Amino acid sequence: MMRWLASTRLTLLGMAMLAMGAALSYGNPDDVSAWVLIGPLLFLSLNLLAAIITHPGINRRPGLLLFHIGLLSICILAAIGRLTQFEAQVEVSQDGAFDPATMQKIKRGPWHTDELEKIRFVQQGYTVEYRKGLVRGKTRDHVLVPDGRGGWKQRVIGDDTPLIIDGYRIYSTFNKGFAAVLTWIPTQGEPITGTLHMPSYPLFEYRQANTWTPPGSEEIKFWLRLETGYDLKKAWMLDVNRSKGVLVVNDGSKRRELRPGEGLELPGGYLRYEALSSWMGFKIFYFPTLKWLFGAAMMTVLGLVMHYWSKFRHEPLAEGDAKEAKQGNSMFDQKVTNV
Amino acid sequence: MNEAATELPWMWAGLAAYALATMLAFRSVWQLGSSGAMALPSRSSERWILMFLLCGVALLASALAVRWMRLGHGPFVNLFELLMSQLFSLGLIYSLVYWRVPRLRASAVVVLPLIWLLGTWILFLEPADSLFPPTYSNNWLWAHVGFGKIFLSFCLMAAGLSGVILLRTIPRFARSISHMSDEALDQLAWRFMILALVFDSLMLTAGAVWAQDAWGRFWSWDALETSSFITWLSIGAAIHTRLTFKLPIRFGAVIIMAIFALAFATYFGAPFYSEAAHKGVV
Repeated sequence: MMRWLASTRLTLLGMAMLAMGAALSYGNPDDVSAWVLIGPLLFLSLNLLAAIITHPGINRRPGLLLFHIGLLSICILAAIGRLTQFEAQVEVSQDGAFDPATMQKIKRGPWHTDELEKIRFVQQGYTVEYRKGLVRGKTRDHVLVPDGRGGWKQRVIGDDTPLIIDGYRIYSTFNKGFAAVLTWIPTQGEPITGTLHMPSYPLFEYRQANTWTPPGSEEIKFWLRLETGYDLKKAWMLDVNRSKGVLVVNDGSKRRELRPGEGLELPGGYLRYEALSSWMGFKIFYFPTLKWLFGAAMMTVLGLVMHYWSKFRHEPLAEGDAKEAKQGNSMFDQKVTNV
Repeated sequence: MNEAATELPWMWAGLAAYALATMLAFRSVWQLGSSGAMALPSRSSERWILMFLLCGVALLASALAVRWMRLGHGPFVNLFELLMSQLFSLGLIYSLVYWRVPRLRASAVVVLPLIWLLGTWILFLEPADSLFPPTYSNNWLWAHVGFGKIFLSFCLMAAGLSGVILLRTIPRFARSISHMSDEALDQLAWRFMILALVFDSLMLTAGAVWAQDAWGRFWSWDALETSSFITWLSIGAAIHTRLTFKLPIRFGAVIIMAIFALAFATYFGAPFYSEAAHKGVV
């Protein structure tokens, strides 16, 4: 049974299945099951394990053995990772806390156990460097995380510097923008305060607009006229704390420009523009076997190199040169014989 | 033509040097074939081929340096840059191996036209300036690109040797490229395929680390990632096939040529489904 499982014909079948799984996974479509990859990986794991145990050509050669153990580890770790992985995107307002309920574009492996409630951080602000031609440079996003003693400590993260909480890696992204902090004071009832996110900036610099319908009132159109230092022709830095924004409000009957602290009467209540604020779009990534996979990949390559070395060290590629040189066939006689 | 593209004269000169090396490789094989001799190309021909190759490499290095200084970043972003840097790296690695491994020299008649395929392609491209994305400012990019270049070079050499095996089915070439047996060429070609597998594995690993840093995910099955993974699997499957079945040498050569075609399509085809070398470039 083990010998049958170890067959290289089955290896080829497993590889063909994995190639098919890879082709089906192209573009990460939502309607393709994770099992198109996990199935072939588990099949190849069994095949590799049987080959390692039964095949003297593998288990008696240290390099080849290490190579196959590395491949087996990759198959198992990739399968476990794929089963338990998690990916999502989320927008968090300035001074707002991460809320798992607001996550979007969620992709989770079938065995992922939700521990998202362990993720706690508060978004503060960010700066983004832009080079001439609006080429985005480094993002520095400031967040507050629990310090373990009941308080908070500040961390600076970026597109390439994640905040890591319980294995969840949280990255800032290009998707970020401005927001208006608004308070709605209804004629009757309690005032409510919230943030209205404008489209991503500077990607949609030309249309910083959104709408909102206050409870018991009619739809209001908002447009944010920003002063950020935006300049296509030279380097600049996007910094929310140095930006200014005038909120243009249009309820269909009148148009008013509001500066922070100003408000206007509308049917059903009073709207106050409290402050210019911002939001950041985060990417959340969880793949518990990530570091182990890297180690296994390195082990695999090392095994292959060891095997190549042990197999061919007595037959250097330039071996033929020496023979040819002695026969006077080579143009580089002297150099070749020196190899 | 972009008037500011001051690297173009250097590039054209480099391509001309490669063209001379290619013509010389063909000429020597053709002449031997017509004379009916069962011999090697002359030492003088080999020397000139190597000289032209090295000249081409130096001129293309100058073209890359001029462009790098002009734009302030390396040749990593658009197709024009990728082709130019591949012309340089394939030429450089092939020249070194051509110099040190005379057994490989017969492959020049296949390898140099393949390199020139890229040379012809680049002549039809606009040398458009590119913007360097922030995700490319990462040391792992260098490792990824470096390993990738070595991988493709070894693949090219294996394809060159396989091409010689196939060319020898034509009587004229059979006479002129006769100093090594098909078995010896086959052995050498598969050795280069194993080396290609080593560097392909390193390229994929370095690329995954870079992608995790740059885009917050190590693998996302974009066009390039899917195609490069299938290429890696193909090399592994080809090596296993050779071990499992007693492959006829010519069939093995066809397999190696097919893998090279796949690697070539991965490098120069797949990335441009998504406008740039990697989907997350912007």
